Amino acid sequence: MGMLDGFRDKDFLDQITILNDIAGSRDYAALAGLRELFDRPTGDTSVDYMVVGALNAVLGANEDEVARGLSGGSAAYRTLCIRVAGEYAFASAAAELVEMAETETDTDRLIEILAALAKIRPDDGAAVFRAFLGHEDAMLAALAMEMCGVYADAQAIPFLKAAVEATDAQLTYDQCDITTWKAIDALAAMATPETIGFLAANVHHMNPTARRLITDALVRLGEAALPFLEAHYASGDVDQRILACNVAGFIGSRKGADALVRAFDAGAFSDPNSRYAAFEALGRIGTLKGLVCLVDGLSEDDELILMAVVTGLERHAAPGVLKTIADTLARADKKSWRIAHAIIASRALRLFQELYKDEAVGNMLMDCLRASQDQEILDAFGQRLGEIGGDRARAAAASLPKAKAATRKALAADDSKSMLAMYRRILTDLGFEPLLAANGQEAFALVEAGEFVDVVLTDMNMPVMDGMELAGKLRGALGYEDVPIIMVTTESESSQREMATRIGVTGFITKPFKPDDLKAVLAELLGA
Amino acid sequence: MDVELAKPFVKAAIDVIGTMAFITPRPGKPFVKKNSIAIGDVTGLVGLTGERNKRGSVSISFQKTCAIAMVKNMLGDDIQDLLQDVKDAVGEITNMISGQARAGLAEKGLVLQGSTPTVIMGDNHSITHIAKSPIMAIPFETDAGNFTIEFCFE
Repeated sequence: MGMLDGFRDKDFLDQITILNDIAGSRDYAALAGLRELFDRPTGDTSVDYMVVGALNAVLGANEDEVARGLSGGSAAYRTLCIRVAGEYAFASAAAELVEMAETETDTDRLIEILAALAKIRPDDGAAVFRAFLGHEDAMLAALAMEMCGVYADAQAIPFLKAAVEATDAQLTYDQCDITTWKAIDALAAMATPETIGFLAANVHHMNPTARRLITDALVRLGEAALPFLEAHYASGDVDQRILACNVAGFIGSRKGADALVRAFDAGAFSDPNSRYAAFEALGRIGTLKGLVCLVDGLSEDDELILMAVVTGLERHAAPGVLKTIADTLARADKKSWRIAHAIIASRALRLFQELYKDEAVGNMLMDCLRASQDQEILDAFGQRLGEIGGDRARAAAASLPKAKAATRKALAADDSKSMLAMYRRILTDLGFEPLLAANGQEAFALVEAGEFVDVVLTDMNMPVMDGMELAGKLRGALGYEDVPIIMVTTESESSQREMATRIGVTGFITKPFKPDDLKAVLAELLGA
Repeated sequence: MDVELAKPFVKAAIDVIGTMAFITPRPGKPFVKKNSIAIGDVTGLVGLTGERNKRGSVSISFQKTCAIAMVKNMLGDDIQDLLQDVKDAVGEITNMISGQARAGLAEKGLVLQGSTPTVIMGDNHSITHIAKSPIMAIPFETDAGNFTIEFCFE
């Protein structure tokens, strides 16, 4: 007597109890009965789904039956066997699946077959997937690419490289084909010198999404990517150098810092933009050599670079560093004042607390602080003075002015902390209340939360959501149709300005700029 | 990368919208998005959960013109309250697509539970998928306007 005898005549509760038992016991004896029910369903959807579930479980315990099922039975049963073969990674099914992949013409069935093979991963599977790299169905091709990465299939590399280079930025700035995505991930998964070198060379890919995927992949690769990034410090164009520095900063390894210092010593970062990026990366990593290099950076004239240097030093303030800064400030020359301003503008509270101990240096910092128009900065340092305690600090805190109440608001989006600090300072100087965001998505969230601003400043390259996309979204947001949007770009990004203008960007400013340059642009746009 | 999960939803969308709203969607090239925001005028959203902690969400975001054309085709002249009808229609269509796609997957032994669809309306609104992995989007064109299906599975 089989457990499924007279199944169709039983009531619902009995039926599901039986099927549940079979799914638990995975008893081979139930197979024939289940197949009959599978091929000729009862018509009750719940029961029929449970039949599939039970059959799935029984097949999962019977590898030989699955291998047989691939070549026999109804089309639906074969598909079920393909899926079970994959789910339980039945190696004995691989040969048959490979054969099926070679002859199958239906895309949906092919996807099932390849998905099953992807889970089984037979030793000789690379060639099967390689054959589908150029398939017209993008999803199928993407699956094939992913698996070429898993197999580290060297023969697939030329194709994958071509797929990465194929995405056309001009047409679709915010979109990137899934095949490009999978090609990037596959090349990263291979992690050979050739593939990492290729990704590093494309760190400034024209398509922003692809660029971000490459950046993420290089960060994941970690130390293995560093030698290839280093190669671009000296030879790449400015954007490549900047992005290579960023990635090295995110990887955060001592070796990365050493390479950056070497590049500094060799004079690789001659332009201010890449110097800024390199200092920011060193600040993120924070090794001893890096700190020495950052201390050298205190002699920079450019206010923005100085803020990157101070932000880095703030993170890793060590006694030796503090002494050097204190000595420099004590000279009270032009350079000292620049540094003091940068400490206040970057909100370097730890540095401030240490440096404040010296009365002359402390007074200098207080002079800079009292000149600030930024209430948040005044509050933050005021609170820190309270924590320092003592008569001198209490008197200093009491001497802090109230910033003039802002009547206008401005939104600034940038992934660099020191750039944001700089915007904060410029905007508060001009009487704006600044709203700051680390990327486009954060900025847009503020707008969606109902914030209304008089002007928007945005970086072009940012993670999560870049400036182009932010500008596009703002133009579609209620009340933001005509709000001036100023985009901050590097010289070499000027080719993308036309696209940005089309999207709705009002004006541009090229990095590096002096605070007065930005003030002039703002004054021109806002007429004030 | 769960292509075998995504495909049935694409097929179901073409099938359901064709059958119910007499509109023939033409799928475009799938692409990957760098943010987790879906944009549209009307969006139907379902959450999915399955065995082995598989979970994700599927959204279908319609341009207003496309959503209205669907309602007109489904209801004819019997439109009472356009806003409410668009909301109902998109909810219903999302539900059918989710149901049909999951039925197809269940026949192959892969059971996913789908939540009741949520419909979000508002010109050019955005919704956020909760996902760590990049999101795959498939654009569709129709004679009445565009819509986009977005998937994320973890």
